[in-house]
Amino acid sequence: MEEHLETKNERRDFLKKIFTGGFLAFIGVTLYPIVSFLKPPKQEEVEVKSVSAGKVDELKVGDSKLVRFGTKPVIIIHADDGTFTALSATCTHLDCTVQYKNDEKVIWCACHNGKYNLHGKNISGPPPKPLDKYFVSIKNEEIIVSKEA
Amino acid sequence: MKEIAKKIFGYFDERFELENLVHFMSKKYVPVHRHSIWYYFGGVSLFFFIIQVITGILLLFYYKGSSDLAYESIKFIMSKVEFGWLIRSIHSWSANLFILSMYIHMFSVFFEKAYRKPRELTWLTGAVMFLMSLAFGFSGYLLPWNELAFFATKVGTDIVGAVPFVGETLKYFLRGGEDVTGATLSRFFGFHVALFPGIFTLLLVLHLLFIQRQGISEPMHSEKSEEEKKTMPFFPNFMLRDLLLWLLVLNLLAILAVFFPAELGLKANALASAPAGIRPEWYFLFMFQTLKLIPGHVLFIEGEVLGILLFGVVGLLWILVPFWDRKSSRGIRNRMINYIGIAAIVFIIILTIIGLM
Amino acid sequence: MKLFNRNLLYILLTVIASPLILFATQDQCFTCHNDLGDNASNLFKEDVHYKTGLSCAGCHGGNSNSDDMDVAMNKSQGFSGVPKQNRVSETCAKCHSDTSFMKKYNSKISTHQLESLQKSVHGSLATNGKSMIVQCTTCHNAHGIKKVADPRSPVYPTNVPQTCSKCHNNAGYMQTYNPSLTVDQLAKYRTSVHGKLNANGNSKTAQCASCHGSHDILTSKDVRAKTYKLNIPKTCSSCHSNKSYMKEFAIATDQHDKYKNSVHGKAVFEKNDLSAPVCNDCHGNHGATPPGLESISKVCGTCHALNAQLFSSSLHKKVFDENKYPECETCHGNHEIKSATEKLLGVSEDAICSKCHTESKNTKGYFVAKKMRRLIDNLQIADSNAKNSIFLAEQKGMDVEEAKFKLRDIHQSKLEARTIVHSFEEKKFKEVIAKGNTASKQVITEANAAIDQFYFRRYGLLIATLVITILIISIYFYIKRIEKNQ
Repeated sequence: MEEHLETKNERRDFLKKIFTGGFLAFIGVTLYPIVSFLKPPKQEEVEVKSVSAGKVDELKVGDSKLVRFGTKPVIIIHADDGTFTALSATCTHLDCTVQYKNDEKVIWCACHNGKYNLHGKNISGPPPKPLDKYFVSIKNEEIIVSKEA
Repeated sequence: MKEIAKKIFGYFDERFELENLVHFMSKKYVPVHRHSIWYYFGGVSLFFFIIQVITGILLLFYYKGSSDLAYESIKFIMSKVEFGWLIRSIHSWSANLFILSMYIHMFSVFFEKAYRKPRELTWLTGAVMFLMSLAFGFSGYLLPWNELAFFATKVGTDIVGAVPFVGETLKYFLRGGEDVTGATLSRFFGFHVALFPGIFTLLLVLHLLFIQRQGISEPMHSEKSEEEKKTMPFFPNFMLRDLLLWLLVLNLLAILAVFFPAELGLKANALASAPAGIRPEWYFLFMFQTLKLIPGHVLFIEGEVLGILLFGVVGLLWILVPFWDRKSSRGIRNRMINYIGIAAIVFIIILTIIGLM
Repeated sequence: MKLFNRNLLYILLTVIASPLILFATQDQCFTCHNDLGDNASNLFKEDVHYKTGLSCAGCHGGNSNSDDMDVAMNKSQGFSGVPKQNRVSETCAKCHSDTSFMKKYNSKISTHQLESLQKSVHGSLATNGKSMIVQCTTCHNAHGIKKVADPRSPVYPTNVPQTCSKCHNNAGYMQTYNPSLTVDQLAKYRTSVHGKLNANGNSKTAQCASCHGSHDILTSKDVRAKTYKLNIPKTCSSCHSNKSYMKEFAIATDQHDKYKNSVHGKAVFEKNDLSAPVCNDCHGNHGATPPGLESISKVCGTCHALNAQLFSSSLHKKVFDENKYPECETCHGNHEIKSATEKLLGVSEDAICSKCHTESKNTKGYFVAKKMRRLIDNLQIADSNAKNSIFLAEQKGMDVEEAKFKLRDIHQSKLEARTIVHSFEEKKFKEVIAKGNTASKQVITEANAAIDQFYFRRYGLLIATLVITILIISIYFYIKRIEKNQ
């Protein structure tokens, strides 16, 4: 009788241990995702229809900059007259990425020497179409590129 | 360990008289009979609601409720935020299962006639909560601002617009303008995360309070005498069973979320043409399908208007069942109610299947 | 009834015989004017119309049967004097657009000439705002019109260039109609193979009308024009692909067939790509001549600028010139240029480099070519590996948009490599290839991370489910225990 009681107690303790352990592990597996979720992600901001291309004074006159716009690159040019131009940086010929050549004042594709003027119009070489235009606005000294005005 | 727990319990017991509560709970009994299983769906619904609140709050940390940010922010949650995919998928799955368990809970209460006097108000609060859960679903569906949601909302609010007299105004109010735009999204976002949860919580508290005061309803026409009636203590027996079921449900949710994560689709574009095979979420499907099947004109009124009126009247009668089902309230068997319930279930299932085809 | 029939017969006879009667009776206009010795009647003597028996009155009206000037040149007799403006061409068309009339002379001349002219560029309104720019007489003269086959005719093949250039060489005149049109066509033409032969009296070589048409000349921007870009291969080949026509000229006639199968021809005919070259883009049009050996890279370089530039500053330029190898053509061919692939590079059998570079001859190039080919092949593999990783990750439902974005860099490196190869410098080539390889590695790393994440989710779920299940079971037994004790 006494022996029986003892094994019963032992079993009870074992069950309790499992229960407590399971409970603690449960807290762990639920809290882990939640805490990870709340941890700020590496990239802080949401990528959107408009994207920031940095501060105005970081892009000097005559300089250009490539920014990622969703899956597409966009080139932002600070022209000599002070205006900012944003154009799709994907060459319309064979999808290479274009660059700005300040000495010639053209947008140039290294792959086949395609050239576009600052309005994105294809002016020489193989590109069949002009580059798509993007809209640039300046908010709080920051260059904002967007697809639509 | 045990000593510390006892001390903490003692601390609170001294101040809030917890002993009383434990005593109250352990003296509370839940009737046991062959339909007991259906009793658990109220608790399961509650659990889903808790999950929704938790995951919903988590999503709010990253979600942005405007037409040009909403889609991207969900994309961000799904791809950049750690476990973002899990939280959103659980929120989405739990929403669907929440409504499903609400349906089951409501029908089981209906068949048990547990709404009968003195529990009319419990039924009433429950019915309103059910309608609100549908509204939760409808408003939440738009928030990712994807193509499907956009057009589903367009169609859904259009149907609202067909309601006689107040329809147009209501539609204008819901959309926040003539059309489904960013303004609609802002509104739905407000409804979904502030207005609805507030009202819902209030109703839920009432609902639970009523149950606590009145105890759980017993089935009618128990042939057995008072002594023979089986019961079990609410605490810990029933509560542990509840817990067990909740854990099972949580397990199911985790599996569903990992294997069938919530999708996002394409971003809403007001100028794009509506994608083919557009239809509402499954819980609206039978209503949507009925409206589609009603002919364009019946006698002198428009088919759609007729359908909406019919659903309105039937819905109202359904909600008010404790007030016209006098027989059950007097403890007399009312087979009519069973037939109505079965007819409703058959109707819903058949039209949902037609809608899915 | 019978009487009526006889009368009808007389009338018919008179009508049929009328030209003969005209011929029989002297043309009083001509007789008189010839006596005066004026220029018009002098020229008219040699006119094809005079020879067929037509009178001055045919164009000028009046009564040619009367020798009384007052009667003959009386307005009541239909005398109209010198036709003005569009009346000129309308006067010609009176007969030349009348099919049944022209048939009487067994004429094979089209009767739609005026119609064509009216629809052509020359048919548009002149600066006077009243008439067409060009009338029939502008090219054919008024009196003294000859058959086209007559070498004295201004529209005889060897005379055409001179005739057209009457206006088209006149900068002041052309300025009034088309200031952007050059006026040097004739000068250029005379430098071309066509122009030289034409100047030597060869009537078979192309002159203005061969390519531009005659009455129906349209601006080359008009899609119906023979000189519209997409129509040029057909226009040129109408002579150049005609074996019997080209017999006396010692050149091939398969250019068009070859061109059709070339990368350029396919772009033109299959994709209707207006930026692809047709015949005149390489050969010139008015100054049409095959480009010289050393100028080929300049010609191709008008479009393939970077390639040409790299080639011109490469080692090969000097060697090619010394050996008289035509530049681009040596490797790529001329009319039948095929899309250039990696296959051209290297030392395998179908590779071009091995034509000059073998293990025993020009060995340095042999090893460089071999190495370059291996590099580009490896990049190709790196590219497909990267794409495959992305595919695997996407198949598992993972979001790899950023890695996909980097695929662009591999693509770019591949394209740049195909250009930089024209420098024939191993170092430069390597640099370009390296960019692609680096990008490929990054893509694969990111894609694999996404795939790892996928498995992390599965294993994470397994652990979570396990924990929850243990908890469920322990609760189950706990309940059993409690209820047993109660």
